[in-house]
Amino acid sequence: MKTLRAIIADDEELARRILREYLSKESDIEIAAECPNGFEAVKSVNELRPDVLFLDVQMPKLDGFEVLELVEPEVAVVFVTAFDQYAMKAFDAAAVDYLLKPFTTDRFRAALDRVRVRLATAAPAPPPRDLKLAARAPGEYLERLVVKDGPRVHVIPAARLDYAEAQDDYVALRSEGRNWLKQQTISSLESALDPRRFLRVHRSFLVNMERIARVEPNTKDTWLAILRDGSKIPMSRAGYSRFRELAGNK
Amino acid sequence: MLYLAAWIELGVILGLIAPASGRVTRPEAVAIMIPLAILLGVACLVPFYICGSVPLRAAAWKGLVQNHLLATVIVASAVTFGGRLLASVLDSSWPGVAALFGKAVPVITIFVALTYLLSTALHYAFFEIESARRAELLAREAQLKALKAQINPHFLFNSLNSISALTSLDSARARDMCVGLADFLRASLRLGERDTVPFGEEMALTDMYLGVEQARFGDRLRVARDIDPECHGCEIPALLIQPLVENAVKHGIAMMAEGGEIGITGQRDHDRLLFRVSNPYDPEAPVQARNGIGLRNVRARLEARYGAAGKMQIHATENSYQVTLTLPAQTS
Repeated sequence: MKTLRAIIADDEELARRILREYLSKESDIEIAAECPNGFEAVKSVNELRPDVLFLDVQMPKLDGFEVLELVEPEVAVVFVTAFDQYAMKAFDAAAVDYLLKPFTTDRFRAALDRVRVRLATAAPAPPPRDLKLAARAPGEYLERLVVKDGPRVHVIPAARLDYAEAQDDYVALRSEGRNWLKQQTISSLESALDPRRFLRVHRSFLVNMERIARVEPNTKDTWLAILRDGSKIPMSRAGYSRFRELAGNK
Repeated sequence: MLYLAAWIELGVILGLIAPASGRVTRPEAVAIMIPLAILLGVACLVPFYICGSVPLRAAAWKGLVQNHLLATVIVASAVTFGGRLLASVLDSSWPGVAALFGKAVPVITIFVALTYLLSTALHYAFFEIESARRAELLAREAQLKALKAQINPHFLFNSLNSISALTSLDSARARDMCVGLADFLRASLRLGERDTVPFGEEMALTDMYLGVEQARFGDRLRVARDIDPECHGCEIPALLIQPLVENAVKHGIAMMAEGGEIGITGQRDHDRLLFRVSNPYDPEAPVQARNGIGLRNVRARLEARYGAAGKMQIHATENSYQVTLTLPAQTS
């Protein structure tokens, strides 16, 4: 039997201990790492490439959903958490299984069986890209974005994002004079951010309304948004009319 | 409709009684009294608006009496005037009615005035009962919310998970934690039934809560208490301090990888009590519904009970959060 390598991510020592105890009874499992917070979880998963990740949702530094956004999608994820009504949808969407604390050995074994089946059939997990969407309550928007910065993780509060530009499968995020690349479509980013603060001014550009200093006509049917730092963002005709509508409502 | 019918009935009765004096016939008296009674009925609805805007307060009784006497005079004159007008119209078909009505004016005026005053008094009684009922409802609702917020499912399930882990690791500690959790839940339920509790009991509940959390978070949770012994005899609303401490754990300590220290201070300054709960927090922590229902509930309960004398102040810096409660020191 192939040995499965597992990582445990939970900020509570006792919560990690019970997983370790249950896992130690399985002959085909080896624990690769235990992580007490989200940063370490991302680092360990990307470095050690485990087969399975047992992931708590509420953790310091990064929450479980943010961790999922930042790790390679091949790992089979089992959420281990106290009940959270909004998260349930996300569990169904992206995790192999979820365990509600506290759980029995039998329930734990059932989750492991699902992991084994998933890994044996080699069906990749669905991309966790839109996970945060499913995990959010209606009317709630992202307050921060997480991006991978080499082996590290960078957190960008939504208020400090100047604009985002679509680049193929990525978006380039401009914040505090630097660019960050994140694997996400601009449309999914747009729908995750508060539409009263972030405006799609162009097919490829999403702008923080607070950063726009003025708008100038460019060609016949296009405009230019001039940001406070001097950046010039193209505005399409539709983008311009959306801008007028949003600015007029303020 | 029912209200109107009652007044018409009164008009009919008066119209039937009036001929007893022998000076008017029944049809005449009824013809005048019914419209008059309807007019009076409408006038008696006026106190609904006046009483609503001029609440009963001992301090302002002079103005109150003046206002209502003035209203009484106006209403009585208006109704009597309406009666006169009606009588003069009817005079063409029943000669002499106007003159007879003129004689009855003093009696009718006094009757109208008394009826109006009675209506005012009834309205006040109605408003008082209504506002007392609403205040009680509000208080109960706040208490219920506090109780509901008390049994935070996330806390409960995580604690049970810790106990589950301890059963094989350290069964004695598992048992201690079971008992600690049960003690805390029992005390919460008991305190939640009461309106006010001695500060010492509330603090004991807070300590039970911290005991359970200590088992979950270990070294990450540190607590510094500085309580003036004079606070202990004071009565405070039940479940006031513990939710603040729970907030500090949930949004502060639990979100910090290395943990931190929660500060709990209690001071008595003559007739005032000052409680403060402070905690560090990670400004870059994943955003969750920060200081939601718990804090709002504490503020609402302080205001409902003490009015301006009860305050909740929040002081937040880059990485620390501090909630201060001020309330009157009341001993039982």
